[in-house]
Amino acid sequence: MLALGVPSFPAADALAADKLVVWWNKGYYPEEDAAMQKIVKEFEATHKAEVDLSFTAQEDLLKKITAALIAHRVPDVAFCFYNDWQVVPKFGWDDQLADVSDVIQALRPRYNEKMLPVAFVLNGKTKKRAYYGVPIEAQTMHIHYWRDLLREVGMEDDPAKVPMKWDDYWNYWKKAQDALRKKDPAKYGKLYGLGMTESTRASDTLYNFEMALLSFNGETVDKDGKVVADQPKNREAIIKTLNWFGELFTSGYVPPDATNWTDGDNNAGFHSHTIVMTPNPSQSIPAAQFFNKDDPDKKNYFDNMATIEWPDGPDGKKARYLSAVKTIIIPKDSKNPRLAKEFIKFVVEKNRFTEYIKAANGRWFPAFTDVAADPFWRTGHKGPKGQKDMHVPVATTIFLDRENKVFEHYKNPAFSQLYDENVWGKAMARIAIDKWSADRAADEAIERMKAIFAGYK
Amino acid sequence: MSPTTREGGRRAPSRVARLFRSRTTQGFLFTAPLLALFAAFVIYPMAFGVWYALDADSYRALFSDPTFRQTVVNTLWYVGFAVNVKLVLALLLSGILDFQFAWIRVLAALFLIPWAVPALPGILSFRWMLNSQWGIFNHLLGKFGFASVPWLAQHDTALGAVIVFHIWKYLPFWTIIFLAGRRAIPNELYEATAIDGASALQNFRYVTFPLLRNLYLICTLLSMVFTLGDFTVPWLLTGGAPGDSTHVLATLAYRYTFQMGRLEWGLATFAVALPVTLGFIGLLLRWVKI
Repeated sequence: MLALGVPSFPAADALAADKLVVWWNKGYYPEEDAAMQKIVKEFEATHKAEVDLSFTAQEDLLKKITAALIAHRVPDVAFCFYNDWQVVPKFGWDDQLADVSDVIQALRPRYNEKMLPVAFVLNGKTKKRAYYGVPIEAQTMHIHYWRDLLREVGMEDDPAKVPMKWDDYWNYWKKAQDALRKKDPAKYGKLYGLGMTESTRASDTLYNFEMALLSFNGETVDKDGKVVADQPKNREAIIKTLNWFGELFTSGYVPPDATNWTDGDNNAGFHSHTIVMTPNPSQSIPAAQFFNKDDPDKKNYFDNMATIEWPDGPDGKKARYLSAVKTIIIPKDSKNPRLAKEFIKFVVEKNRFTEYIKAANGRWFPAFTDVAADPFWRTGHKGPKGQKDMHVPVATTIFLDRENKVFEHYKNPAFSQLYDENVWGKAMARIAIDKWSADRAADEAIERMKAIFAGYK
Repeated sequence: MSPTTREGGRRAPSRVARLFRSRTTQGFLFTAPLLALFAAFVIYPMAFGVWYALDADSYRALFSDPTFRQTVVNTLWYVGFAVNVKLVLALLLSGILDFQFAWIRVLAALFLIPWAVPALPGILSFRWMLNSQWGIFNHLLGKFGFASVPWLAQHDTALGAVIVFHIWKYLPFWTIIFLAGRRAIPNELYEATAIDGASALQNFRYVTFPLLRNLYLICTLLSMVFTLGDFTVPWLLTGGAPGDSTHVLATLAYRYTFQMGRLEWGLATFAVALPVTLGFIGLLLRWVKI
């Protein structure tokens, strides 16, 4: 740990003027990395520049970027799936990121405006907002379920026939668990209806909490990023939300290990058919099934599973959604910011970026309207027997046709810490494990939130 | 006499030459590379860390974080309980391995396996065994009619799992150390007690333990220093979950530094433990009379 203080060797990041160091999030699928390598080769050829491209898995890349920014030994361009909430608000506030407002202005006509605020963050030194990241793609909340499990116990498996009223919706999956366990106790005795992540180790927990809080009409900050979680209406909504999660966990329909899950554990549980449904804030689950080598006919993707929307709120209103918009950053200490900006503009050019993002198989939705206009996003893939895609078009509907806003971490840099600490996940654990009341857990979380926000003035 | 004065036909060595011929200078020159490395990789990082950790705001932030308070308690349990249980067991087991039977040698070889197995696969296997849905422990509980236990999803059992794994993993190492200590005790002492009709327990009480006492204390201090900085076992087994309730200082410092980008908090977390660590090291040095 203390070795952090040792100066790094200059050879590691000695950048020639025409050399660009790019750290890129390793894709979930080889096709994504191949598409990025192709873009880099084209850039090198057209710009007569050398690009040192490296791919790193998301958890490791976040640590690498964080350490680099702390040590001021940085790459020229960095794209990590965690940049949006763990890097941009905090390091934008610390004045460690390059202002890329000029890039945003150049690309503005192409942007889905709803996704832009995510990178418009406050700089603690200048006390002004600017764009400290370039949004490129987004994820939102989807719920995936096994249609074959529902069929096995005679329940409706068509997404259009799943009840969308709040209580009916959640009870539907509980009913599926009961029916499956009853039908075949040996096979399904340890199956659970709801793969709801409630762990401080998973960012999915934040997504689940924020989505449920929206359903209960609660807010934690106002439009200026000031804490309003303690206002009676919002406190009540937070209590209801936490209470709902607590009851869900203790009801016996959520796996007991859900309080210890990482982001990959609900995916793993779903793929192994040990949970009937799971909320997941990206299309990684169906995308993984699409590339499943053990299922060459893609039966799982087209026939056995489906993606469905979040239910209507307890008040009967249509669900409102949150998008996490992934952003590219240029550190302020970049040796070559001009070329870095050129590189980003090059990557997001329509045809080039369309090829790149489609390689992720619909896992991400583009932040650019011209790329999103590609018919793929509305129709998705076509099955070998002509089956309809029940995943990608659902995400497109959520992004384009539903009320959808970006996560609010851009409003205040304190959100980085709030989410890093997973304060809401901790509140869930207080109820599920420490057996606290929802009121007490909510009050502790709200106090913690206020204390964290007080540190950013 | 000036340095240039001739004496017996030989030129008196110059001041520089004398300096280079001095054993102190030669010693210094020979150790200079090591000293440079020590300065670069120990002194500088330590100074950097201490400088960073001097920020009073970091301590205010730490002590206002409820997770930190829980972490201090967990660390005390981990260091205090796990180390002592492990060393008492190691002392007792070393007595069993001291018997001169062929099968004991086979048993000793088997007993060393947990220590020889790399930590990562061991921890991952343990995690699977503790899985509440599919783990072998709950499967066995179910077979005997007991309810399943969410081992890693509640604080007490999760921290208990960390402690048990630590003991399982490192018990063989300390057992071998104590075995070596036992073998160094002269056999004549036991022959003398045998003539006096001492029982096995009396042998242990009046011969073995008094002669192993210093070794035992040194091992305890060393193990406490190692365990205080242990990151691998708690991080890979629980990751601090559930609800950030099973962090120890090493994992919390890592979380602050690399997940939250708060290097100063991470260093302050270690600085909190530094007086204890230095105390252990001081005691250790005093004991071995360095």
